Amino acid sequence: MNPVAQLTRLGVAANDFVNILLTADDAAIAVTPRDVVWTHRNTTLFRYRSQQRLHAVPLLLVFALINRPDIFDLQPGNSFVEHLLAEGFDVFLLDWGEPDDADADLGLDTFVLDELHWAVRETLRAADAEELSILGWCIGGTLAAMYAALERDALRNLILLTTPIDTASSRYSNWVARDSFDAATVTDVYPSVPGELIDFANKLLKPVTNYWTTYRRLWDDVYAGIDRRSAYQAMARWVGDNPRFPGRAFREWIDWMYKENALARGRLRLRGRRVDLRRIEANLLVVTAGADHIAPREGTVVVLDLVSSADVTHFDRPGGHIGLMIGSNARHGIWPDIVEWLAQRSAR
Amino acid sequence: MDISGKCVIASYPQPMTPAAEPHEDSIRQLFKESQDAFAAATERTVQRDAFGELLARVTENVMGVTKIAFDVADLIVRNLRLAGRADIDRLGRQLARTEDKLELLLQEIEALRAETRDGPPAAAP
Repeated sequence: MNPVAQLTRLGVAANDFVNILLTADDAAIAVTPRDVVWTHRNTTLFRYRSQQRLHAVPLLLVFALINRPDIFDLQPGNSFVEHLLAEGFDVFLLDWGEPDDADADLGLDTFVLDELHWAVRETLRAADAEELSILGWCIGGTLAAMYAALERDALRNLILLTTPIDTASSRYSNWVARDSFDAATVTDVYPSVPGELIDFANKLLKPVTNYWTTYRRLWDDVYAGIDRRSAYQAMARWVGDNPRFPGRAFREWIDWMYKENALARGRLRLRGRRVDLRRIEANLLVVTAGADHIAPREGTVVVLDLVSSADVTHFDRPGGHIGLMIGSNARHGIWPDIVEWLAQRSAR
Repeated sequence: MDISGKCVIASYPQPMTPAAEPHEDSIRQLFKESQDAFAAATERTVQRDAFGELLARVTENVMGVTKIAFDVADLIVRNLRLAGRADIDRLGRQLARTEDKLELLLQEIEALRAETRDGPPAAAP
């Protein structure tokens, strides 16, 4: 290629690259039609519209307190919710909303025993069902496991996706479990911890990958003429949307889960009630990702030995903490597997 | 995050990537290897005890400075007789408390309604 053509190509690629980065926030995500079923403070319970509900047991999706639950419904053609609806499930989504400083008083007990508990009640009422399935992802899975240990009557199936249970092996422990780190130092200044701070800490676990390799790969693809605009922008918008972490919940999460590792040790108490994972009797599916550095496999699979469930399944798949559930690999891999497992256990 | 599902822009002149020269390939390979090695080294670094200790200290310092800045800003706003962040938060908390009570009241009403609907018929006088 002559120098002029090469220079022109470089200019076109640079323009495209910058454009993709600058317009990422315009990406359309979470567009599957849904209705609001119930709201309380920042929390909203959504029900996705469907013309073909084939399974009697509704499914409630619960995501983490960091990042938004839009990842369940990232974009048309790459949406787990869309897949579930096509398979005939009655799908509900619990959205924790966007807490601010006035919500600094919300603790883990509030999320588990109020918001999640009430959302379950509203799900059953809306679906006219007596039992439901809960799918929790990341911290959402931990909250769902706590709930399942405390309020187990209506829960038939529990799915935990890349969920931290035993944090002893977690990379975060090396940072936040040490005596010199006091979570209250942060919450004294920020009553609700800015999502950007947490996002920064997450990215710092793999600094080069997150701050350099991601952009280099995008540049390589743009320069080679491979269009990743839609997929990249949808993911970038989701990654960049970081709600605040309510102060009390943040302190409890750090102190109880990392410093004391209280859930795995059976010492966690919410409103005086001991969260004993042995009380979980629901059918349990645990999904881990081989390259998950946020909730490593060994910190999740311990739950398999802790619960009393007679029906326990474990899927271990390649991929990262989020990448496991996104893209064509997920569409043809873990999604159908989850759907098959759930369908077999969702008859009336 | 790496996302699969690639497609090719039709409007680009083809081929966009001409066959690379051998020396170009080796430079690219060398760059990739250096980058991978650097990424692995930084991941090991951030997992060291010393880095964790440093991070804890830096966090304390940054929070200390931020607190001073926030306190000064709040003092200025309050002296101007304007509602500060704390005042707005107080109002927000009051609204949240009211909503909590309303939710509990609604639950009581729903429970009573269910009891009335499902309960045994009233005894004859």
